[in-house]
Amino acid sequence: MNCTDQPHSDDALLGELDRLLDVADPVPAGLIERIQFAVALEDLDVEVARWERAGALAGVRGTDPGTVSFTVDDVTVMVTFTPERPEGAGHRIDGWLIPPGGHRVEVRVSGQQSRTTMADDGGRFVLEGVPHGTLQLVVQLDQGEGMATRRVVTPTLVL
Amino acid sequence: MMAEPQVADEGTPAAGTPAAGTPWDGMAGTDRYAACLLAARAGDRRGLNVLVAELTPLVWHVVRGSRLDRATSEDVVQTVWLALLRHLDRLTEPRALVAWLITTARREAYRCQRRDDQQRQRTAGSYYASFNGSFNEGFNEERVSAEPSKAPEPELEVLREDRDRRLWNAFSLLPQHCQELLRLTVLAGRTSYSVVAKALHRPRGSIGPTRGRCLATLRQLFEGEGGFR
Repeated sequence: MNCTDQPHSDDALLGELDRLLDVADPVPAGLIERIQFAVALEDLDVEVARWERAGALAGVRGTDPGTVSFTVDDVTVMVTFTPERPEGAGHRIDGWLIPPGGHRVEVRVSGQQSRTTMADDGGRFVLEGVPHGTLQLVVQLDQGEGMATRRVVTPTLVL
Repeated sequence: MMAEPQVADEGTPAAGTPAAGTPWDGMAGTDRYAACLLAARAGDRRGLNVLVAELTPLVWHVVRGSRLDRATSEDVVQTVWLALLRHLDRLTEPRALVAWLITTARREAYRCQRRDDQQRQRTAGSYYASFNGSFNEGFNEERVSAEPSKAPEPELEVLREDRDRRLWNAFSLLPQHCQELLRLTVLAGRTSYSVVAKALHRPRGSIGPTRGRCLATLRQLFEGEGGFR
């Protein structure tokens, strides 16, 4: 775009905006890597659970204990993260799935081994010693015999 | 066919092509994305990684064209990409990928806004009631233009040049539909104009006048801030 001939032209303004957009409102550091981690799934036929939270809440980005929930259609994934002692040891995850049932829960952690557990009949599950980092939950719903498999994934969290 | 930024001449092998070449080596724009999409469908993760790396800035700016803060926008951008996974096989026309990303990003952003507005409404009474409905209409400027935008948290400290700061200030004061349209217009220069027109659900010709009015308003605001000086 030629900005020198007509400094007040529409093209000049748009050219300035084009340049400013990436300076004033850049893609957050690490977001691309977090997304690449989130989409590196074995099975791509997944339903995406959305993060339910008030716009003002910062969500889980740090080391404070916090509860977050994700929903898609009739499925809710609620998890509480509690830092374990000694400091820096990792996190305990207490989860609750609706509808309840013996669903399979996988916690993927970037650069680490995945952790898998089964929820109890009430839909509750616990995972201890979950390391710090970027993580994602993948829930395979127990649909009963002969029913199609449903997999629900969450966006990543940074713990 | 459209104003794609060309990073390599067609037919010219890119210099330093790695031994394990990919189908999209040396390709640019829509062709490159189509090749990556086909590879991703066939289970080649490199294709998906290239798409995420190269198209996340587009998705990010589309989402940020809404009133969502940066943290919420990050979640929305992730949701869009995760939603694409299931959709990989359903995009019958790989060239439609960019349009799908823009449309899905806007829909997810509005959905998030609606939810936040409803939450605010419950706590703050009826103040947001009039605000609420208008944004669900997309670019209905008659209903939206009277409302000042919620400034999208301009990161002014990174703008060292005074003039840049003033222009970004002026941009942040624009009505929301203008901010989104101008963002998309700028992004269109990076991908393709027709894709933006499609995502805006408007005939291609009618974007021009609206954009012209938005730019005129921006120029007024900018001059109020001191202009190109």
